[in-house]
Amino acid sequence: MSRAPLPEWLVSTLDQQEPAAPGEIHTTARVQVVEWGLPTLRDEEWRWTNLRALTRPLPKPQQTATPEGSGLNAILPQAIFIRFAGGKLVECPGELPDGLRLTPLREADLDQRAAAFAPKAVTPNDALLALNTATAAEGLIIDIAANADIKPPIVLEFLDAPSETAAQTRVLVRCGPHSRATLIETATGADGVTSWRNSVLVAALAANSQLTHLSLGLDGDARLLTDRSFVTLARDARYRSINIQLGGQLVRREIDVNITDTGAHCDLFGLMMPRAKQVLDTHTRLTHGAAHTTSDERYQVIADESGRGIFKGRILVAQDAQKIEAYQSSRNLLLSDSAEIDTKPELEIYADDVKCSHGATIGRLDDEALYYLQSRGISTANARKLLIAGFAQEIVDLLVTPELVEWMGGIISRRLERQNAQ
Amino acid sequence: MKLLEIKNLHAKIGDKPILRGINLCINAGEVHAIMGPNGSGKSTLCQVLGGREGFEVTEGSVTYDGKNLLELSTEERATAGLLLGFQHPVEIPGVKNIYLLKEALNAQRAARGLDEIDTFAFMKQVRELTKTMGMDDAFLHRGVNAGFSGGEKKRNEILQMLLLQPKLALLDETDSGLDIDALKVVSEGINMLRGADRGIVLVTHYQRLLSYVEPDFVHILYKGKIIKSGDKSLALQLEAEGYQDILEAAS
Ligand SMILES: Nc1ncnc2c1ncn2[C@@H]1O[C@H](COP(=O)(O)OP(=O)(O)OP(=O)(O)O)[C@@H](O)[C@H]1O
Ligand SMILES: [Mg+2]
Repeated sequence: MSRAPLPEWLVSTLDQQEPAAPGEIHTTARVQVVEWGLPTLRDEEWRWTNLRALTRPLPKPQQTATPEGSGLNAILPQAIFIRFAGGKLVECPGELPDGLRLTPLREADLDQRAAAFAPKAVTPNDALLALNTATAAEGLIIDIAANADIKPPIVLEFLDAPSETAAQTRVLVRCGPHSRATLIETATGADGVTSWRNSVLVAALAANSQLTHLSLGLDGDARLLTDRSFVTLARDARYRSINIQLGGQLVRREIDVNITDTGAHCDLFGLMMPRAKQVLDTHTRLTHGAAHTTSDERYQVIADESGRGIFKGRILVAQDAQKIEAYQSSRNLLLSDSAEIDTKPELEIYADDVKCSHGATIGRLDDEALYYLQSRGISTANARKLLIAGFAQEIVDLLVTPELVEWMGGIISRRLERQNAQ
Repeated sequence: MKLLEIKNLHAKIGDKPILRGINLCINAGEVHAIMGPNGSGKSTLCQVLGGREGFEVTEGSVTYDGKNLLELSTEERATAGLLLGFQHPVEIPGVKNIYLLKEALNAQRAARGLDEIDTFAFMKQVRELTKTMGMDDAFLHRGVNAGFSGGEKKRNEILQMLLLQPKLALLDETDSGLDIDALKVVSEGINMLRGADRGIVLVTHYQRLLSYVEPDFVHILYKGKIIKSGDKSLALQLEAEGYQDILEAAS
């Protein structure tokens, strides 16, 4: 492990807020974050992503307005909207469908707060996780009762505005047996305004429950985001993650899924579209810890200008996890000579009776396809836009409802148009 | 009226000369068929006219509708009313057919100074065309040619042609790989375009297309040159006797 000491400015912010994590959970993390410091490029897990931006104090927040939200409320009027601005919970509806309970961490009792942090308080050498545990003051516990079918999506809108310290949030999602829910996280920021969020989400899916989890990084080209999801699946549970990141100065998402019991299934779908000098990075770690479990992972990066996209997908199949099926693909589009894509599948298989396949490709826009579109009178710029949007569409089409598919397709098209116009 | 005039056209792919002095004149209202053995340069001619990169014109001229065609980009040629039907239409998964059709039609309209087409009118027009071409509307929402059978791809080429209403259609083996029903549908589509102000070029190996779409002229292309031209009876003669005699007589 290669570590840089925790930057002074970060050390000085450690005790600024009353932490939500209680007693020993907090004190342990508080000690370890200082001990471990920030990872450097020499750390295998961080070799492509430089946290240099965090070594200096963040720019002092100006008098900036709260960034606009995702605009999803117009698309999903029935959804349940929860808003965090600069890491602070600013909106949480009181009226909820049966079977859904929301408990802001600020109002949670000691036991509830312990429950939110204990499952993922610290892991060795993981300073960003320890930092969250040591300093997070805000967050939410989402409880979905057994057998509840929560139809309206639960939307967590993160309005990433600058603050003196990082926005540290902790979210716990508990899906009761046989329940079903959709959780959508959105991140937006004002362009050119630096903010940093270091967030952690822990989801526990009980037997036969289903959670669809969308994480959508939208506006805000100067956002810094270090974000973790830790998900455990009990017997027959189904988890689908769709991770779409369209911008940010630095976005590092880590998605850890642990399939602990038989019959469970996990989908991990992702699309990252870095441009300018953005770095968009996702690391997934999927553990098949039980027999007869399945997974489907599809990631795509479209890198333009000097953007960098990073995808590392680790799949671990435990020794007695026989009869599992794991499929992974990483398909990437490199649109400019100064863009960069790093992709790495990492399969560790200890069982012998498994079906695992993986593949990674990095390509350019297809000249034949471009010519075909041009031969129909479509301008080069529009033809490129169609092809890029078409490539992205393969992931966008996996979004749960036609409304979401159309909305996201529209966002991507408009973005490509804006780029064309530049 | 001359729609297309090709004079002494030479072209190479890489270092390899393929077209070696083509002369051809197409007037509005005419249908021309180009036949010839494999590798004689028929598709190359189509692609040169389409403006494909990597196909270099080394000599000669092409005048289309009074303009120097060779100076125009591929998309300018298309918006000027030239349409290329591909021998092997490419598959573009992810780009829905309907988007291609709409973008293409709007590009044509923009070139003529018209506004973007109203979505309702567009859908109505497209649905009529899918019906004409015997295609299910589901094709509109699939990726362009993605996973289409050979015949479906060719129907799709004709559908695009009928939507865009080109002045000059160059159809490269649009009849290859079609069963008899599909051939009828495709031929009817081509006949729908036929008109006094339009020109059509059919590249084909088979007389059977030409019995549905009767050509005014038939040309035989061999080793990058038109070695013989005639009327529709030339295609019948080829069908009956094969290329051998004609090639020998010409050499
Ligand atoms: N991209 C290319 N690179 C190199 N040579 C090519 C390329 N495309 C075609 N050729 C060559 O050019 C010559 C003419 O090919 P072309 O495809 O024009 O023939 P064609 O008359 O259309 O044949 P077919 O009836 O088989 O379709 C052939 O020798 C072919 O191998
Ligand atoms: Mg050919």
